[in-house]
Formats: sequence, structure tokens, C-alpha cells
Amino acid sequence: MSTPPQTMSGFGPAAASSELLVKTSAADANAAPAAEPRRKRRARLALGIRAQLLLVLTVFLAIPWLGYEYVKELERFLRDAQEARLAGTAQAVATALHDRGPLFEVRPTPLDTLPTERAGESSAVVGAAVDTPGSPEIAQILHGLSRTSARIWVVDRDQHVLARAGSLKRTLPEPPRADDASYVERFLAWLDREALQPLYGRVLQPPTEDFSDERTGRTVPSGRDVEGALAGILTVDRRPTADGKAVIVAAAHPIWVGDEVKGAVIVEETTNAVLAERNRAFGRLFNIVLAALLVGSVALTLYASWLSLRIRRLRDAAEAAIDARGRVRGSFTGSAARDEIGDLSRSFGSALSRLTQYASYQEAMAGRLSHELRTPIAVVRSSVDNLALQPLPDDARVYIARAQEGLTRLASIITRMTEATRLEESLAEAERERFDLAKVTVGCVEGYRAAYSGRTFELRVPSGEAPFFGAPDLVAQMLDKLCENAAEFATPGTPIVVALQQDETRYRIAVTNLGPPLPDTMQGRLFDSMVSVRDRRTDGGPHLGLGLYIVRLIAEFHGGRAIAANRDDGRGVTVSVTLPLVRAER
Amino acid sequence: MAPRRLDWAIFEKNDGEIMAAAPRRKRRVLRAAQVEPVRGRLHHAIVSRLFETLFALMSRRITIVEDEPAIRENYADVLRKHGYEVAAYANRADAIAAFRLRLPDLAVVDIGLRDDIDGGFELCRALRAMSASVPIIFLSARDSDFDVVAGLRLGADDYLTKDVSLPQLLARIAALFRRSDLLAAPQASEEILERGPLALDLKRLTAHWRGQRVDLTLTEFWMVHALARFPGHVKDRDGLMREAEIVVDDSTITSHVKRIRKKFAALDAKFDCIETVYGMGYRWNAA
Repeated sequence: MSTPPQTMSGFGPAAASSELLVKTSAADANAAPAAEPRRKRRARLALGIRAQLLLVLTVFLAIPWLGYEYVKELERFLRDAQEARLAGTAQAVATALHDRGPLFEVRPTPLDTLPTERAGESSAVVGAAVDTPGSPEIAQILHGLSRTSARIWVVDRDQHVLARAGSLKRTLPEPPRADDASYVERFLAWLDREALQPLYGRVLQPPTEDFSDERTGRTVPSGRDVEGALAGILTVDRRPTADGKAVIVAAAHPIWVGDEVKGAVIVEETTNAVLAERNRAFGRLFNIVLAALLVGSVALTLYASWLSLRIRRLRDAAEAAIDARGRVRGSFTGSAARDEIGDLSRSFGSALSRLTQYASYQEAMAGRLSHELRTPIAVVRSSVDNLALQPLPDDARVYIARAQEGLTRLASIITRMTEATRLEESLAEAERERFDLAKVTVGCVEGYRAAYSGRTFELRVPSGEAPFFGAPDLVAQMLDKLCENAAEFATPGTPIVVALQQDETRYRIAVTNLGPPLPDTMQGRLFDSMVSVRDRRTDGGPHLGLGLYIVRLIAEFHGGRAIAANRDDGRGVTVSVTLPLVRAER
Repeated sequence: MAPRRLDWAIFEKNDGEIMAAAPRRKRRVLRAAQVEPVRGRLHHAIVSRLFETLFALMSRRITIVEDEPAIRENYADVLRKHGYEVAAYANRADAIAAFRLRLPDLAVVDIGLRDDIDGGFELCRALRAMSASVPIIFLSARDSDFDVVAGLRLGADDYLTKDVSLPQLLARIAALFRRSDLLAAPQASEEILERGPLALDLKRLTAHWRGQRVDLTLTEFWMVHALARFPGHVKDRDGLMREAEIVVDDSTITSHVKRIRKKFAALDAKFDCIETVYGMGYRWNAA
């Protein structure tokens, strides 16, 4: 094949056409609005799967609530255990004091000064094991039973305090200094202290040792516990402190001397230990739940992103595989993944390949059909021709004439059918040359003026030469088809406008006619093989829907595009072809 | 040997003398060297009628190779009716066997012969090897440029699609016979159309460019003739089709013209006498 001189400047026809096709489609005004909704849809889709999974994740918010319920149950259990323990302690102390009447015979020495003094200090003196007793013996016994967090009283029948041991206030252990801890541990500790504990504090009140203790005086204020014990019954009571900052659990056990209740042992403790235990459990549980939720949601989000990324990739590949006119553009390789998305991609790939086969079948059909039809038509034609050579009566000649007319029409249909096929073949070896596009256009329109006697043609071409590098015969054939199409649809008496425009990058040949607008559904498919919008009433030659297909083939051969659109006022149709200028030609 | 059907022929010599000739061999009936003058002048009108009758009766042998029986018989019938002797074959092997026995005067060959997809091409090659002068016409359902070019390159004289009507086919066959006859005949009454360097021999149906023979098919010759007859006048595609006795679509006319240009350009690189007038047709411009 001889190379045209123009291609020597690094611009081969094949390379040029693909490059320019990209350029024109990007420059095309129609392409921009088409891209816009696609981007919107993508954003919505991405939000879709991830948002949905996060929504599903809210189910796990029930876990903290369950934990809260569990911790409350735990607290109840701990309280019961605390009450039982206090009751046991009270009983043990009382057992030690049973039947030791003399201890209770001693009138308590007036403790006017000391206890009140002590009472004033008692909130400050934390952990004082033994108060100054009203009865030293009892105090000695109590001393052995004293506990850190519980306070034990022994009172006589008049609720005078005989002895007292222990304190309600607990000494809180210092949190260990984590100097040797790693940064991560320190960070977690900091997080726990600064962020999580205040948060939990809002849900569950943390216990405080800073409460007022009203039972510090010489006598014990009467309460249900003391009264019950003095009446001879082991009583457990629970009461808030005066300032309401803590709850005190008190167990009172009577002290029997013979059959007589001589006094009572009261063991008191705040619920702070239980609360602290409860809060610790709650905090621990919540830390775990929060960590699990955090890790879970991050993992799920990542998974959802990955999933939606794969789906988006599949969709983009699918969209890229089919162009705006629904033609399969290139091969679609299915994913090798063995999951459902992989399946989807593979089945999409096979659907596309079937579509490709169908499209090529449709495009080849006209050619094959005509080839197959030629032989039987030749049989009929030669038979009728033979018959016509026979001596026949005149009325028989009429039928022969009709048969021959029908055959002529049939032959012209076949000729049209093969036109596209032949064009496809000839495009492969078509030679380009430099020629004047304006001259060809003018000449063609002159020809149409003669050929379409009932039509007027309006011609708008730029003055001067319009140099173009292409195949003039093909361009003329394309103009033939454009004008044939326009003449077909033009309202009688209205002119057909043929316009040639030139801008920086391309020529645009537009053929406009007044007449019925294109149906919306057909606009993308008009340039496909064997697609026609004509209704049946049109007379004249056969219509196979190949004319605009030929236009498209020739436009694409020159690296251009064919576009059909209704006129802005809807009163007509413009079919236009853009022919990009080869760069060397500009 | 087939029995002799023709014992004599009438022949018009250069000087207008009418001759009757008895051929030694029927196929060479009009070859001057083989005729012997037997009679003097005859009345011209009578002679031309005799001539026509003779021409019609003259039993030229045409071979049709076509796989479709109905078409084969139809063509054979019409050719027989027009006075030709017809042998019809359905496949390549039969046809070649028959050619070995005796060459036809003209062959009409289909390209696709059942399973023998390009059987017609092979047959054409074989026949051309046997004889350089037997006219061969391809008559096929295939109409791609590729097939046309391939067929003509093998030495066929014409390529027709099966759209052709019987009268058109007969006209071509008659023209090809005339050409093959006149090529063999001495320089009889010349009918030459000259347009500058172009010379068209309308009897022999041959074209010369600057004295060199341009190997045109019958269709191409008729097209060139239609164009060159009135230089400067635009001939549209329909007109060309009519003149060339073919029914094809516009793009085939385009490829015919392209081939014609190439044949001329092969002899003369500066050949540009056939101008495309876009939208109208073609025009012969004086060189």
C-alpha cells in the first residue's frame, strides 16, 4: 500500500482517527451533560452501601444497654451479699457479748467533752480504729473485730454508745503511677481517665467518700435498725446520709443477757464499695464494647468500601464497554473473583459478548441476506425473461411486465442492502487525498437540485477553499445519503438547507429539513444498520434504514461523528456530520 | 467430431466486395486466410440479411458453468434460442473435462459452485491457460469489489452480477463474439473514435492510449466510450449504466471508474481525463 505523503508527517490515518475521535467527543457539547448525571449517581451509590452497613451496625448499640442491665443486676447481688455480711458481723459481735451482763451494768461515764471533740474531728481522722469507748471492755472486744470499711457500735438499751470501732470512710488506694508503662498503655489510661470515666460518671454516679456522717455523737439517733435490734430482732436497714451523697447499710443485732435485751450491736457500712465495684465492672464492660464497636465499624466500613469499589469498578467497566449509542466498544474481561460480584462481572462479560455477536450479526445480515436472495431472484428473472421471449398473447405480456417490474424493485432493494456491506469492505482500502470539501459540497448540491426536481436546496458554504484530507467519493456518497434522507422527510415546498461550517478543529456538514421531528426513542439508534423511522405510507424506493448507517460509517472513517437532532423549534431535523481536520492539514 | 453444420459463409471484403466463404474449420469461419472466394458481387441488402442470418445460425459454442439447475437451464434455453450451441455443467471437474475435449467459443462461469467456493476462479485460470483468447464472463451472486477485481485479474473479459437481465447478457455475449471475431479479422472497415491520445475501436471494442493497448473489459470499454463520445459533457451514473448495459448501484460505478483510471494511469501516470463531477457524474476532459 502506498503511503500518502501527508502521513509522512507523523500522522497516519489510523492513529489520527482514533486520537481525533477522542478529541472531538471531549469537545462535543453533547458529551458534557451526559457525564454529569453519571458522577451524581456514583456519589449516591458509594454512600449507599457504606451507609447501609453503618445503619445495620446500630443494632450493636443494644449491647451497651444489655451491659447496663447486667451491671445493675450485679449491683443488686453485691448489695445482698453486703447486707448478709454485715448481718453476720453484727451477729458475731453480739455472740461475743451475749450473757455478759456486767459489761452493761456499768453506767457509761459521761463523755461530754471527748466524744464531741472527736466527733468534730472524725471526718478528718480517717481510719481511726477505735473511738474512746464508753465501756473499755467492750471497746477491747470490738478492737479485735474492727474493720477498715465498717463501723461497729455497741449501744445499751437507752441507745447510749458503749463502744465504737471503725470508720465509714474508706481509704482509697492511690492509683499506681504508670511511669514504666508504654506509650500505648499510658494513652489508654489517659483516655480512660479523661474521656471515658467522665462519660460513665454521667450514666452511673461515682461513689464519694465526702459525705456527712451524722452518727458520731454519744447516742445513736434512733433508727429502724436500732429499734428493731432493741426489740430483739436482727434488723438490716438502709438509709441515705443526711446530705444524700451516700447510702449507709446498717445491721443491728440484739445482745442478750438471759432473756433480756441488754443492748445492740450495730454494724454500718456505706454502699460505696459496692458502687465502686459496680462502676468498675460497668467501665470495663463499656471499654470492651466500645473497642469492639470501633473495630467492628472500621472493619465493616473498610469492607463496604472495598465492596462498593469493586461494584463501582464493574459498573465503570460496563459503562465503558458500551458507548452512548449502545454499541459494544471493546472487550470486557470478567473478574476472576470467585464470589457473587465476580459471577456478576463474568455474566456481564458473557452478556456483552453475546450483544457483540448480535450486533455484528445484524450488521452482516444485510450483506448475507442479499447474497442469499440473489440466486433465487436470478432464477425468477431468467425464467420471466425466457417467458418474455416466447410468443405470448398480449394479456399475458401485462403479467410479464408486472413481474419484471417487481423484479427490478427487488433488485434495487438488494443493491441497497449490499451498499453498506460493500462500503464497509471498500473503507478498508479507501485512499485519502487532499481535496476541496466546499467544491464537492457545491457540486453535490447542484446535482441534487437536478435530481430532486420537487425540492429546493439552500446552500451555505464558506467562501474560498475548504481543504480536507479524505476520500472525496465517500464524502459525496455521504452527502447523497444525508440529502436523500432530508428529501424524504421534508415538508413539500420547504427548502433543504445544506451548510458547511469550519472551525479550528473540524468541519461540520449539517443538512436541515423542515418536517416531522425525530421520535425521542430513536435518536441514539438512527445511525445503526437497518433502523428506520419511516412509517409505511412513504412511497418511492425501498427503505432499509441503511442510509444513515452509511453516513455513520463514512463519518467514522474520517474520524468524525454523525449526530441527528431536532431543530430547536421542533419543526424539523438536523443531521450533521463532524469531520475533524487532520492536524497536519490545519 | 461434431458434424459440420456450416458449409459456407458470406464475407465482405475491404473494397466492398461481398464474398462467400467456406470455412475449413467452423470456429475459424471468418478468418480471412481460411476463406476462398467462390462468388462475385451480390446485392448489398440481400447480403446483409444473409449475413445476419448466417450470424444467427452460426453455431457458436457457449459453455455455462453454474451450480443452480434452474438458472443453468434458463440461460441455456435462451442462448439456444438465439442460435448458440450450449453446453452446461454444474461443477468444475465436468467443465474442465469438457474443455480438454474441445474449447468453447465463450464461457459463462459462476464463481461459487456448491462446495467449491472459488471453483469459478480456478476454472477461469485453467481455461485461460488452455486458451488466451476465449472470452470468459463471470456471472455471480457475489458483488464485492474484491471478487470483481480477483475475477478480472484472472483474465475474465467481464464480470456480471446475477441482477443482469437476459437481454443484457445476450448483448454482452454478442459484443464479445464480435470483438473476438474482429480481433482475428484483418483491418476491415475501421470505425475508430479518436479523442486526443485516446483511440477507441468500436468494432473490435478495444482502446488505445497514445498507441498503447488499454486492456479494458467490455463494461469498462462501453463506459469509456460513453464518456469520450462527448468530451466536456457530464455523464451521470444512470447514463453510464445504460451505455454499459449493466444494472448496478452507484458505488459500483465508482469502483468501475476507479479501475478504468488505474488502467490508464498504469500507461500514463499523468492521466486525468476522467473527472468526477460530484453530485452529477463523470466527464471526459480533453487531454
